[in-house]
Amino acid sequence: MFDRRSFLKSTLAGTGLVAAGLAAPRFLTRTAAAAPRLGARGAKDTLLVVVQLTGGNDGLGTVIPFKDPLYIRYRPTLKQPVDRILKLSDEIGLHPALTGLAALHDKQQLCVVQGVGYPNPSQSHFRSMDIWQAGSTADHLAEGWLGKAMNRLRSGPGGFHLAMANESAPLAFAGAPAKVPSLTSLADFQLRTLAGSGADRQAQRQIIENAAQPGAPSPLLDFVKQTAVNTYASARRLQEIAGNYEPKATYPASGLAERLKLAAQLIAAELDARIFYVSIDGFDTHANQAASHANLLSEVGDAVRAFYEDMAAQGHGERVLVMTFSEFGRRARENGSKGTDHGSAAPMFLVGSKVKAGLVGAHPSLEKLEDGNLAHHTDFRQVYAAILEHWLGVRPTDVLDGRFTPAEVLQA
Amino acid sequence: MLRTTRLDLDPAWAWQPYRPSAATPWDLRKAGHLLRRAGFGATRAELDEAVAAGPEATIERLLQGGPGGAEFDELAEQRASHTAQTNADEPMRAWWLYLMLHSPHPLREKMTLFWHNHFATSQAKVNNVDYMLQQNALFRRQALGDFRVLLQEVSKDPAMLVWLDTVESKKGRPNENYARELMELFSLGIGHYTEHDIREAARAFTGWELRRDRFHFNTREHDRSVKQVFGRSGPFTGEEVVRLCLEQQAAPLFLVRKLCRCFISETHEFSDELVQPLATELRQLGYDVGRIVARMLRSNLFFAPLAYRARIKSPTTYVLGILRGLEANVGTVGVAQLCENLGQKLFYPPSVKGWDGGAAWLNSTTLLLRQNAALALTSTEDVRFGRRCDPDVLAQKHQVPDDDQAQVAFFLNLFLQDDVPTETRQALLDYARTSRTLTYPVYWTEKDRAAHRLRTLCYLVLTQPEMQLE
Repeated sequence: MFDRRSFLKSTLAGTGLVAAGLAAPRFLTRTAAAAPRLGARGAKDTLLVVVQLTGGNDGLGTVIPFKDPLYIRYRPTLKQPVDRILKLSDEIGLHPALTGLAALHDKQQLCVVQGVGYPNPSQSHFRSMDIWQAGSTADHLAEGWLGKAMNRLRSGPGGFHLAMANESAPLAFAGAPAKVPSLTSLADFQLRTLAGSGADRQAQRQIIENAAQPGAPSPLLDFVKQTAVNTYASARRLQEIAGNYEPKATYPASGLAERLKLAAQLIAAELDARIFYVSIDGFDTHANQAASHANLLSEVGDAVRAFYEDMAAQGHGERVLVMTFSEFGRRARENGSKGTDHGSAAPMFLVGSKVKAGLVGAHPSLEKLEDGNLAHHTDFRQVYAAILEHWLGVRPTDVLDGRFTPAEVLQA
Repeated sequence: MLRTTRLDLDPAWAWQPYRPSAATPWDLRKAGHLLRRAGFGATRAELDEAVAAGPEATIERLLQGGPGGAEFDELAEQRASHTAQTNADEPMRAWWLYLMLHSPHPLREKMTLFWHNHFATSQAKVNNVDYMLQQNALFRRQALGDFRVLLQEVSKDPAMLVWLDTVESKKGRPNENYARELMELFSLGIGHYTEHDIREAARAFTGWELRRDRFHFNTREHDRSVKQVFGRSGPFTGEEVVRLCLEQQAAPLFLVRKLCRCFISETHEFSDELVQPLATELRQLGYDVGRIVARMLRSNLFFAPLAYRARIKSPTTYVLGILRGLEANVGTVGVAQLCENLGQKLFYPPSVKGWDGGAAWLNSTTLLLRQNAALALTSTEDVRFGRRCDPDVLAQKHQVPDDDQAQVAFFLNLFLQDDVPTETRQALLDYARTSRTLTYPVYWTEKDRAAHRLRTLCYLVLTQPEMQLE
């Protein structure tokens, strides 16, 4: 497990960019818009923002079939009072903490895809997360679905990972034409020197930057040098931009909101990047999940709502699509610790003015469980296929490990 | 692209002890390599001693620890119990970093860190400094000890009982968390157990509780019924499940591979054939980790070119390497902050599988932050370190003459054992020369300028890409 994982990370870290001899990362220069590949809706400069819920989000506690007596029975301590559930239909509603998403639903900007998963689901966090990030269930997963997609985007091949402090780059971006930068903040991002004068500073920077010449005999040293080239080029450019950003919505004070705001700054800076990736950790709620799960859901709902409203107010509302996912849902029956163990199928959320608003697909049956878990009826790769084909303008078969019928999640 | 290469070497050659020869002499580079891997980098004196003593004596000393161990341990324990009483976690990180920086037995601390990463328990959930320190003491006690004992003890360790929810696991309501990670991350690796094994094994850990901060076996909450694990059935207890894991063929291979990644290379995949001799030995010699680590450190493979600088330094190794080279005498609270900023907050691994390590340590953000950390440690302007960590003071101590060649050579030799391209050396020499003619603020004295030049040369050496590799 560890070796395979490190292999993935190593592969992920490689970058074709510098090998191609580019002085500055390609994402930093805005190219003329190219013709969309499939002539599809918005394929030219649409943006995708992926929000990863790390740890396995309890789908049954997120999108709730509140009229189903089995829900009450499976969740003796975790069930939500019916009057507080935010109704999406006569039978299905959102967890009370998801007021942010409910507001988007009211504006027809929320799509809830129910019962998403894949066959023979893994209940290992890492294996299942790799599967979701790779868009494949193959044994060896070295490339990510977004990394692969980036190779096929005609315009805006780049992306950004808005990282938490301890977070490594996601497998999802592995295989991208240029290494996708991980940023924690703009302010962090400049090379400092101890200089007695401007000329001194210049001389020092020259030495530091000149040492970053790729082409070392050892792959690891070459990796460091390539990373350094990207680092110094990106640092220069990013200091020039995005400093003057003024949000047009109020972001809540949370880590996820901060990261999404950083994404908004980068979007406003008109960088040639189309895919943004953020995650929020803590969904592995094995014990006493009621309070922590509610907090996490409200962080997600409120942050996504603020971000989308900001984007819309900045004039990017039609360009932005937000997608949430988690590596798996959780067991239908709560465990004895007022928590839930690893499960399988769960809902995904899509946010944007072009989504097919409302519920898509039925809630998985609480009667016909598989090994105590909800059974999926929609493969997550069908959702990816819809996004690839109808949003990014990339042929799904170029990215996914098979042929998947796009799910009906975007407006025709 | 950075790829991992599969290693298909002759296992007999690979694990034979390295003997210096004309073709592969024992030299400063090999000494630097050994002291980086088996510790946290070296001072000038340690490098010179190792070169003079030769590999065998140096390795023996690393395995046994240097003089003053007992006194150091006693002092460390006193400080630990004080830290535990305050229940504040920054002092806890500072305490451990102090040990790593000053311990006469750095290999033991390196292995303690290895186990911390292996059993990746986070204070974020445990929320009890005393428990975290108890676990840390266990890792240190068994750092180079018997893995069977370690795995049994860690299963009952208070921090672990909380971290993976064993304390919540009751008869009829088993919690699967511990059983899963025991197999997936601690002993076997994915693919060597089934979901069925996990669900069954989980029942064996029911009734494992904490009472008055200690492990307590509650027979009333323990599921005594028959379980089926790895195709065997019986009314297994938790201890028996741990033993069954260690009896699996996959277990010694799993651990040896992980040690290879730690001590040999993270850019190579180790074939079963290559790992098998040590796995067999590990199992036959009662899971004696110290002996396997000794075999690795002494081996041809360890000193082979493919292992040289074949790991990315972790933030801890990176920062401590600079501090040790500078013979710094700094408070370690600031060091803890630096490491955290670079992505390694000790006692807070990001997930149950620890830090990903390898290439994941470096991206455009963290590399920049590492350069800025090197600046903080060499500039004397950061109040956390000041002149207690100063290249100028170090150069004076080692009587480096006021000469461009000598100054550049001193830092390149100390930190990189001269592993830089000729152009880099030339660029540093050019900088040293021109820096004597640059215009500086008028209030700088001659001494200020000389100190500035030394600090800057040291900083520029530390920003070299080779510095990122262990």
